[in-house]
Amino acid sequence: MKNSLFLSAAIALASTAASAQTLRIPHELGYGGSESLDPISPQRFYEAIQNMYSRLVRQGDDGRPSPDLALNWETTPDAKEWTFALRPGVTFHNGNTFTAEDVAFSLMRTQSETIQSPTKGVMEIIDRVEVVDDMTVKVVLKQTHADFPLLVMDYRIKMLDAETCGHNLDALCESGNGTGPYKMVELDALGTTTLARFDDYYGGLPGAENLELIAIADQDARVAALQAGQIDFIYALSAEQVPLFANNPNFTVQTVPTGRWIGMIMNTTVAPFDDARVRKAIRMSADRDVLGKLVFGEDNYITNCDHPVWPGDQYRADIACERDIEGAKALLAEAGFADGLTVELFVSDITEGAVRMAEVLQNQAKDAGITIEMVRVPADGFWSDVWMKEPFFATGWSQRPADQVLNEAYSSTSAWNESAWQSEEFDAGLEAARAELDFDKRKELYGDLQRQIWEDGGSFIPVHLKTVRAFSSNLSGIDPVEDFSIRYENLTKEAD
Amino acid sequence: MLQLINTIISRPSGAIGLTLTALHLAIALLAPLIAPYDPTVQNADAVLLPPSLEHWMGTDTLGRDIFSRVLHGGRLAISVTFAGAVIATVWGSFAGIIFGTVGGRIDEYFMRLVDAFLSVPWLLFLLLIISIGGAGPSTIIPTLGFFYGAAVLRVIRGAAMQVAARDFVTAAKARGEKLWPILTREMFPNLSDVILVEGAMRWSWMLLAFSSLSFLGFGATPPTPDWGLMVAQERGLLSTAPWAVFWPCLALSSLIIGINLLADAIGKALGIDRATAMAM
Repeated sequence: MKNSLFLSAAIALASTAASAQTLRIPHELGYGGSESLDPISPQRFYEAIQNMYSRLVRQGDDGRPSPDLALNWETTPDAKEWTFALRPGVTFHNGNTFTAEDVAFSLMRTQSETIQSPTKGVMEIIDRVEVVDDMTVKVVLKQTHADFPLLVMDYRIKMLDAETCGHNLDALCESGNGTGPYKMVELDALGTTTLARFDDYYGGLPGAENLELIAIADQDARVAALQAGQIDFIYALSAEQVPLFANNPNFTVQTVPTGRWIGMIMNTTVAPFDDARVRKAIRMSADRDVLGKLVFGEDNYITNCDHPVWPGDQYRADIACERDIEGAKALLAEAGFADGLTVELFVSDITEGAVRMAEVLQNQAKDAGITIEMVRVPADGFWSDVWMKEPFFATGWSQRPADQVLNEAYSSTSAWNESAWQSEEFDAGLEAARAELDFDKRKELYGDLQRQIWEDGGSFIPVHLKTVRAFSSNLSGIDPVEDFSIRYENLTKEAD
Repeated sequence: MLQLINTIISRPSGAIGLTLTALHLAIALLAPLIAPYDPTVQNADAVLLPPSLEHWMGTDTLGRDIFSRVLHGGRLAISVTFAGAVIATVWGSFAGIIFGTVGGRIDEYFMRLVDAFLSVPWLLFLLLIISIGGAGPSTIIPTLGFFYGAAVLRVIRGAAMQVAARDFVTAAKARGEKLWPILTREMFPNLSDVILVEGAMRWSWMLLAFSSLSFLGFGATPPTPDWGLMVAQERGLLSTAPWAVFWPCLALSSLIIGINLLADAIGKALGIDRATAMAM
């Protein structure tokens, strides 16, 4: 007995010492183990690539682009040519030097026909990238884009080493060789992926020695893991989970308004959703304020009119979308469903609140004579088997700038055009907005696009979310910024 | 019948079992009449209220009255599993009596097949069928019925072998009676007690299976009030709003315990020992 006590004490001591410098972050296993280390792969391993690679520009505190691998940039008056001056003396994990060649390679490969990256639709605006000298690169656009740096701020537009990737623009590059603060030690997407700090990181020595990305697909299991001290951090808590951590001195809780949203998407090419009146009727049947309160809790949401541009974005339009049951019924009758309409909605526990949102919509739509039959499917593999495959399904997006998300989720050629919406008016409008150099006029144009999505699109996006994060209180350095802007290299952890 | 009930309630466990089962059946039947609220009506102004005079068991995350949901929560489970139990008992005992009477090689082969089948974890099997056929009573009832029928078969066949060895069956065979009359006139009347008890036991296990499915999201679909689903949806609240999980748990376990006690009591009253039959 004495022996075993001593032994367990020794083990406990040893494990504390080992984990003191290790940040343990959960990852949601959205691709069921086929997570890719290529940042532009449709199955990118977000938590890993976020720490292994760097971008040209990153979000500043004001949400505007600020320097990362590019130190500064300038454009011609027609906003068609953008010149970036690069940060000198940056090395990749394998010791290679970061140069303009790598930027040209990393930007051009996003357009590959064979990779079919979700970034393709957005980045196709690039005509060519010219290497001016080792530390200068000029990006020539096919058309004017006054906010081009916002596009390369995308969390997936990371700089890869052209040499490691064999200069091959058409193949996935899963080497993991980046310039980011952490380098890959062991990839095990189904279990624990280990990263070690990169001593030569240009931003200074990262805080924690190791990162462990632990696969936990289920939200309740993540909450339990945080409570038990098996992980240090949870990106988002649901309203009823907040009290578990709020009054506990072992944990810190942080509320951050974000552009994150959960929605229900109708495929606009499949009956009955190919009729715009049906789509609008479903949208009109919802009471967004009640829905937000029920699903996410008081003060944890900002109501929205079914477009993806969040309230913190400079281009957000003010649209009114009060609940209108009579209007919805009239539209349905016009579309030939005077006696009511029955549709199937595919949902899963993909993210906290998705199933409950479907349940509330189901209840609200009932008043307009719309019967929504819920089909629950497993969360594992939801994104590969159900999303964009069924006619009516749940979705979830993280925050993106207005132009990017409008393009990525709604332009007719985008790989992630989840409602399969084909609108020439919208495509042309988006082009016009980008070409407009006057801010106020540009804002008006972007506003029109949001109105078009509300009138005609295939989305139901009732609210944008505020995020409530929880982390162990011995963790410091997490700024109250949205997820993509968290700088893990600044996080430090005190020994227990 | 009256005498059987008297024997059952003469034991405390039997009386408790019968009361719980009868109470649950009555509630399930009368729920729409006695529930104070519509179990699916959401109320944004009454979310997660603790138990009060207005809401006896409190409200859930969507502001629905938990008392009304608990009253309704057994209807689907009870009806689906009752149908499943009937199917399982009918086909399981029919096949069991035949194998127990016929015996010999055919019986041996089939029983090894049944044994192999019974060694498959039941939940995995159910999930497999549901992922192919889709959730919903039309898939779940036959699946439960078929799967649990195999277990019934195992027990009834054992009991049938004991009956088949008795003199009156030998006599019937010697008289030259065909198989069917032997099954219906000699075997079945002597096995009906075992079948009754077996059916009741399987029913209670099936209830647990159905609730497990609901818990995993493949039994009842929202917004149907169902105990397993209620527990699944509110399990994150165990430490902050325990009432949302406690009441459906209590309802489910009291029904299962009730049926179990009742089945045991019937067995004892009829002098049946399931363990002996199973061992054959």
